Amino acid sequence: MILRGLWERRTLSLIVLIIAIIPVASAAVGPIYAAASRTTVVREVLRAAPAEARGWRYTTSGDVGAGVAAFTRGVDFLHPPVYGIETQGLLAAEDMNIPLIWQEGQCAHLRMIEGRCPQAPLEVIVSEAFGDKMGKKVTFANIVTELGGAAAELTVVGVYRPISHGDPFWFGRGMFTTVEGAKGDQRRAEPFFVTRETSSAITLVGSKRNWTNYAILGIDLAKVEGEDLETIAAMQAGAVALGRQTQAAVFSRLDDVIKTMRAQAGTLSVPTYVVIGQLVALAWLLLFQTVGDLVRARSQEIALARLRGHSLARVWRFALTEPLLLLALAFPLGLLAGRAAADLMIGALLPGVPLTVPATAPLAGAAALAGGLVAAVASAWRTARRPVTEEWRRTPRRTRPGWVIDAVVLALVGLGLVELLTAGVISDASGQRAGALAVPALLALALALLARRLLPALVRAFFGLTRRRGGLGAFLALRQVARGTVTAGSIVILATAFGLATFAVCAWTATIGNYAETARFHLGAPSVIEVTPVRPHELAEAVRKADPSALVAAPVVRVPGSVQMVATDPIRFTSVAYWDADLAAGRQIADATGLIRAPAMPRAWLTGDRVRFTVNHPSLRQDLAVRLMMTVSVPSRIGPIVVPVAYLTGTRSVREWNLPPACRTERCELRALRGELDYLSIAEPAPDPTSEVFGVTIAKLEIRQDGVWREVDAGLTRSSRWTGEGEASQDGLRLDVSDLTESSIRMATFPEELPAIVTGVPGRSPVPGLDGLNAAGVKAAAPTWAAPGLTGTGAIVDLEYADRIAYGLHSRARFEVWVTEGQAARITEALTAQGLGVLSVTHLADLQARFAGEGPGLALLLLLVSALAAAVLALGRTVLALYSSARRRRYELAALAASGAGLRSLRAALLVEQLITVGAGMLTGLGAGMLAARVALERIPQFAEPPTTPPLPFEIAPGPVALLVGGGVLVSVVAAVVVSEVLLRGIQVDRLREAQA
Amino acid sequence: MSIARCEGVVQIYRAQDVEVVALRDVDLVVDEGETVALLGPSGAGKTTLLWLLAGLLRPSAGRVWINGSDLGSLDQRKLDRVRAANLGVVLQNPGRNLIPYLTAAQNVAFAQRGLRRDRRRVGDLLDRVGLGDIRDSPAGRMSGGEQQRLAVAVALANRPRLLLADEPTSQLDGESGRAVVELIRQAAEQEGTTAVVVTHDKAVSDGLSRTVTIRDGRVGSEGRRGENLVVVGREGAVQVPPEYHHLLPPGSRARIEPLADGVVLRRVEG
Repeated sequence: MILRGLWERRTLSLIVLIIAIIPVASAAVGPIYAAASRTTVVREVLRAAPAEARGWRYTTSGDVGAGVAAFTRGVDFLHPPVYGIETQGLLAAEDMNIPLIWQEGQCAHLRMIEGRCPQAPLEVIVSEAFGDKMGKKVTFANIVTELGGAAAELTVVGVYRPISHGDPFWFGRGMFTTVEGAKGDQRRAEPFFVTRETSSAITLVGSKRNWTNYAILGIDLAKVEGEDLETIAAMQAGAVALGRQTQAAVFSRLDDVIKTMRAQAGTLSVPTYVVIGQLVALAWLLLFQTVGDLVRARSQEIALARLRGHSLARVWRFALTEPLLLLALAFPLGLLAGRAAADLMIGALLPGVPLTVPATAPLAGAAALAGGLVAAVASAWRTARRPVTEEWRRTPRRTRPGWVIDAVVLALVGLGLVELLTAGVISDASGQRAGALAVPALLALALALLARRLLPALVRAFFGLTRRRGGLGAFLALRQVARGTVTAGSIVILATAFGLATFAVCAWTATIGNYAETARFHLGAPSVIEVTPVRPHELAEAVRKADPSALVAAPVVRVPGSVQMVATDPIRFTSVAYWDADLAAGRQIADATGLIRAPAMPRAWLTGDRVRFTVNHPSLRQDLAVRLMMTVSVPSRIGPIVVPVAYLTGTRSVREWNLPPACRTERCELRALRGELDYLSIAEPAPDPTSEVFGVTIAKLEIRQDGVWREVDAGLTRSSRWTGEGEASQDGLRLDVSDLTESSIRMATFPEELPAIVTGVPGRSPVPGLDGLNAAGVKAAAPTWAAPGLTGTGAIVDLEYADRIAYGLHSRARFEVWVTEGQAARITEALTAQGLGVLSVTHLADLQARFAGEGPGLALLLLLVSALAAAVLALGRTVLALYSSARRRRYELAALAASGAGLRSLRAALLVEQLITVGAGMLTGLGAGMLAARVALERIPQFAEPPTTPPLPFEIAPGPVALLVGGGVLVSVVAAVVVSEVLLRGIQVDRLREAQA
Repeated sequence: MSIARCEGVVQIYRAQDVEVVALRDVDLVVDEGETVALLGPSGAGKTTLLWLLAGLLRPSAGRVWINGSDLGSLDQRKLDRVRAANLGVVLQNPGRNLIPYLTAAQNVAFAQRGLRRDRRRVGDLLDRVGLGDIRDSPAGRMSGGEQQRLAVAVALANRPRLLLADEPTSQLDGESGRAVVELIRQAAEQEGTTAVVVTHDKAVSDGLSRTVTIRDGRVGSEGRRGENLVVVGREGAVQVPPEYHHLLPPGSRARIEPLADGVVLRRVEG
């Protein structure tokens, strides 16, 4: 009987089934998609993390296998452990401690540039720095063949070059100073790799006699999922405890990564669940009406059951069986459909992320279905309690819509708006402001509730007009719309769904625009090539050779900090970097970079082993001496190196002093000269301290390189090249040495404050400088609201100035080459050819994709997809409701046809009725969506960390909104025409003989 | 013994702005085994009275007893029980009595669900109404006459003590109508089913044992054994049958002249 009933109402049943399946599917998609998004977040954060923050390094002097097994028990997201052993060997010939390492599979991660991999005990391979030892025997002071025996001899069988610093195989240990493609300029203690058997073939002596066993436990990015986050956190906590409780040590830099993952997962979860909540609510609304329709379609049968004296329980069962069966059928089908849809979505939007169905997915599906259940129960209750005779009334009683629900919704909207307008950007993961995030849907619902009351009244106002003109079609249509029952429900559904869809489209287009704008400024140029650290002049030279036109590439050094610094070649920067003159008070980039350019200025380079000063000075008292020092910048050292060059007594002196050893090969630079008075006796200083000023004149500065002395062009006679306490003249550079303070004079290669393009208000905070010493002040030559490469308060300065002022290079400085659109591959190739190691190439789209892959972006995408699906569903449901309504009126239509109303008029009546209803719903939705966008758009989270700069434009692209409306109108018109024709074919005057349904 | 009794029944329908009195002070007693035809012009209140007897409406005033139970005092559960055990109802439009997608047999069986099922009776009833051959055809595909006969069979499915039928022959030709009347009479004779039938069809009323005519919401007259008698109402009101309106038109004044066994009404001119 149930199946017969379902077949009898097959169209309605099928539509109810579809309408029930889709919300279940949509609701189930949310958690599945959220889980995949969470996996994406976890993977992306791990991918961006350094190698040592992507797993653990388990170290022990005992059984590493057992320890690792215990530590990783039940964990399935790790790469297989990479085992290794390690000790330190004191290389006798070099007086250096060299790590001796065997790591499982080591040779696959090294490039052999000479010889082969070690295969037998006592075979070893060395880095290029020790390439001269190829084929030779090496011995270590602490390694012998046996206790009391001779030093063990290890044979160098190969020379390797590490392929990449970033290779997670090495767990970010920083063992290598050179990498593939980059230049090594110094012999460093890079490890010697041996075979595992070597550990048994030799004996360690001295204080450290054991080999250390270790295992590298890398997290497999292809396996780790969002739900593993807490397991990772628990393992990290366990790792810390392990170090306290056992002799094992587990090292990792996962703490910060876990914090970042949790924060991003937090920014994902709140918006996602609000989106799912809205979807479920909309599903309730849809199902409530549709399932209600199904129950109402059976109201006569239910009345018959009551007429025949069926018990209330039986009547209920009779009333509920069909809808419940459909809902029960819709649940698994919906889950399957949701899984398939999520699979498609994830495949398209989050490629590579596995699909998992969390327990919340069926719960969300069930929650969505609950709307149908409530509707079925409520409708069955109403039908079962209503007087039976009501079913046979020729004119159904009119029920006026109550104000209670409307008042509750309007109150909620008001509260949400107040919260929204007073709370600012909603980024609190606690969910306390989630109510405000729901305002777009509530606003749409509120306007929909108002529209359903206004439309009948508005339509009634045109009654008079249709009496006089417009024909029978308009006359009938307006009266049917004014009756209100179907119209009201359809407008509420359609306006709410379209409101949400419009808002979602607005939000998505604005967000995409914001991502693009932010990516443009944060990245700085269409493509950015990160290279291995080199000297700034080497970077500039490499770029010059790679791009002789100076129009395609620009060298950039980025230094992070509370005040960031971007140092670049201003001329090249002008051609390559993004710029928005509107954000810089109308100033074009060429004007801005023109203000920060450093004038050409010779620098005093010191490459050699010894320096010689020729100094003239007045005769010094016997109890006084002048200590003369020079400040030197040594590229490989952070901070100034003060070299004492002379201890002056008497009058004229020629003094020599050693330069720092690094200056033998590196380009050291003379930055300043300093002098101070030294009292040779403990006598009281002179009563008038001002009288104790001595002019010390440096007449000549020479440097010895390869045993040959040559004069250094330090501009000792040119006043423009020095600034400080003294003066350059024909006689040389005079330094006024006082006993009050230390006196100094520096080379005037840079101003006190570097001219800069600044964002934010750096104020007196100095920029970090290339050396990270925060010694460089800046002058706001060109203030702007957003500057390329700066993600917050910061300054763009000339790389030449930055280099002149810096002492060394900070380890956090990033060396980049910015290139114009489509030139990245060519410039990358050219840079590599010049020996620069290319670490990564980032395009604008990559950064945009990263923003879109963060929590809020993923949630907004879910909102967009869900809202569009809901809009389609709402449109379908409305067409169905209009069809059902008109079908119920077939008797009436047949009567009209019998009384002479032409098909043309009836067609017009049906068309106009449908178009008015659908149009009103869509128009209300459009207005609600636009209003919600205006109110809420700037307050919904779009970024995991909202950017300080650039100012976000929040520009809504009209195209997609027009597409939504156009698509909606097109589908509505087509549906209206089809429905009208179907109904018109069903109008037969013969039906007048039948009972009025 | 009466199976149905109305006492001072008043029924008022409340529309938006108006109240319509459908029945006023109706007293009616239907004895067990009687077959009563409710007659009267359209809108007189016949269907309303039938619905009151079926417990589908609760009277605005007065009381209705079915098989000794005061319907007004019964809760829904007991009322359902009374309907299931004692009442069979044929609604005015045959389609309304049936579930169109169910077969004839299933429709009859559906009406038995309030009690225990009796498959044999289903077949028996369908045979009696001449639908035994098409017992497995969906009701919705039957002709109007077949549906009407099936509606009667459905109403008799539970062996009701009181059959309430509203225009059961309205869509039938004369022969079919007579068959339906015969069916009702058979039920009365063989199963003791009392029948109250609303009809405009003289053939139907002639076939039943008693007629009750409702006019303007009152019981105007009763007919037994071919004789039609006016009924003196609760307040002594008597409705002059329409066929005497030319003698005593509505609105005219009359003098009452007492007789030993009644009164005579004489029109007073002027």
